[in-house]
Amino acid sequence: MTLFQDPDAVPRTAASRLADVLDAFGAVGDRAAGNPPGTARRKAAAAASIARAAGRPDDEARALYFAGLLHAVGAIDNAGLRRGNTLSPRLATMARWDFPADGARVCAGIAALPAEIADWVRWQAETWDGTGFPDQLRWQGIPECAQLLQLADLVARASEIDETLAIVGGLSGRTIGPEFANVFVRWFHMTGGEVEATTVPVDILKPELSQPAPVLDLLADRIDAHNNTHGRRLRIARVVDAVAERVGLAIAERDALGLATRTFGAGELGLAHAEDESFDPLARLGIAARAENATIAADLFAGNATFEHAAEVLRARAAWYDGTGQPALIHDAIPKGAQILAAAIAYDALESVHRTQIREDRTSPADRLDTAAGTQFDPAVARALLDVTKAHA
Amino acid sequence: MIELTERTRRISPSRLHEILATNDARSLVDPFMGLPTHLNYLKRHGIAVHGGDLLEWFVRVGEGIVVNDQTILRDSEVAEIVEMLPGRIYPLDAFKAWEGVFFTEEQCMYLGVWLDNVRNLRSDGQTGLAILGLWRVFCYWLQKAQAPDAMPDVPPSELAWSYIRQTESWVTTNLRHNTVRASDVLTTISAQTADALFIAPPARNSFRTADARIWMWEAWWQGNPYFTIEHAYKDSLFGARSADEQSYARAIASVLSAAANYPLLILQTTDRRLAEFESLVRNARPSVEILAPYPNEVYIIAKK
Repeated sequence: MTLFQDPDAVPRTAASRLADVLDAFGAVGDRAAGNPPGTARRKAAAAASIARAAGRPDDEARALYFAGLLHAVGAIDNAGLRRGNTLSPRLATMARWDFPADGARVCAGIAALPAEIADWVRWQAETWDGTGFPDQLRWQGIPECAQLLQLADLVARASEIDETLAIVGGLSGRTIGPEFANVFVRWFHMTGGEVEATTVPVDILKPELSQPAPVLDLLADRIDAHNNTHGRRLRIARVVDAVAERVGLAIAERDALGLATRTFGAGELGLAHAEDESFDPLARLGIAARAENATIAADLFAGNATFEHAAEVLRARAAWYDGTGQPALIHDAIPKGAQILAAAIAYDALESVHRTQIREDRTSPADRLDTAAGTQFDPAVARALLDVTKAHA
Repeated sequence: MIELTERTRRISPSRLHEILATNDARSLVDPFMGLPTHLNYLKRHGIAVHGGDLLEWFVRVGEGIVVNDQTILRDSEVAEIVEMLPGRIYPLDAFKAWEGVFFTEEQCMYLGVWLDNVRNLRSDGQTGLAILGLWRVFCYWLQKAQAPDAMPDVPPSELAWSYIRQTESWVTTNLRHNTVRASDVLTTISAQTADALFIAPPARNSFRTADARIWMWEAWWQGNPYFTIEHAYKDSLFGARSADEQSYARAIASVLSAAANYPLLILQTTDRRLAEFESLVRNARPSVEILAPYPNEVYIIAKK
């Protein structure tokens, strides 16, 4: 399915869409790294603000915004954080040290970003005394912007900003270079520790290279790799696209569904098991878990204009057609995209189990899904899905 | 007060690893290894690494974080390093020559105590880890002398404790044979075989402007506060013998010639010195490409 067809009245530029996709990438990165929601946005704004206080050129301050936003993207599919990894705690820790370098590779692959962002992300966790990671750079070997990014990290994580001042003082000469501790003090006194609301510096993205769809696909693939569900979103997207076509979903809804299909797995990041490993996809027992994952994914994209409708689809995917799911929407109150996505996810899970397990009950996934039409799934959607999958078979 | 020079070259092991991965190299020799934290990174990522250097403390640290696969320092052993042990007689004035010039009386006393305690450690791995941890304390003190009000006062033994304990986290195995040796560059190159040779040659006459944090720590390890780096390099290929431009170029050419059997050669330099090295490498290898992400981080990558 072609994404971003601008069906709404206010077409958005490719760079603006890309900025939103990068915002989503950053939010998912936070989730994978175990950071509190919103850390990436706070870090982005703080990095730009501190850079200005440090007298860095405006272009650099704006580029630092995106470095802050993408600070944790390397955590998605990091070997130490990936679901099902068999590393010992010690080796998992070592693997986690690589996430800035992994993030640098992600950033380097996004052509529209200023090139220097990749290495700022790579070296954001280096420390002045050389005990940081991944490269154990030390002293002036760490680029100044990477050190500013580290200061921004302290701001983004602070529960009480006043305490950060004392923390930075205590870290001076070890984690933070003494000069940069002074920069922080200057910034603190200029701003009172308040990070001003920042307009997303879209103009720093190269418009001719701004292609949001491939970046979104990259995010989707990394989510699948992290969750150890390789290829799931592609399988589901094939079914979703065909069903959306068959039921005549409007372009705007198809766009939202396309985004939701690529990102629903973000709600499962950090969980020990995929939702359908714990519960049969057709079982009522799994409603709460599915709803929780759906809400987590939807909340990640709050305030993101491009994902506004996709978030609605994500949030409603645990609703049951008969109104007994969560949220308790019924029939047409459930966005059609959410109904399609829910059925496609369930079908994929049933298929996976059918392929890999020897069951005494050899009921086919199609037959099982059919039994849930009218209760869990919209009968029209279920019928379309069964027709589509039969045609594929 | 001593001047702490700005580093002119950045060694990024994650980038080096990307270059090795691109070229399918699974082992590497670094005859100018310096502080081998980059070799530790490569080791952690499955590369068999072999380093060499003339400064002994670098080699000792290499025994701690490159060769050593499993030995760590337990709490009781760290405690035996960072404080004076009852009943032992310490040479408290071993570093008195630095007192009032670089360090306080208390710091000089600790330097003597630590040297004695480290020399009494039971294994090469532990010794290397302790040297690395204590070096970070040493750097902290020198830095604090530059910016006394900008850095907190931390009791010496507390600082030493935290830095030595931290070294433990770098100990790992890659199930490969990894080595370090105290030897001249040509000896290291000829003693090993590997898929790749990484060289980051010192600038001409660089031993005269070497970072105090590096050569003073060798002086500490030698127990001789009057030690100078010229002493370590005096008979080496890149010592006083290659002080002029032509003999320096000859020295580099001899390194490249000795490296002929390595399938991949990675020479790291700076933008400023790229031209002089590039022509030498092109004379030695048919296939050369340049990766220059930063002026202070330029790689000349040459294949056979």
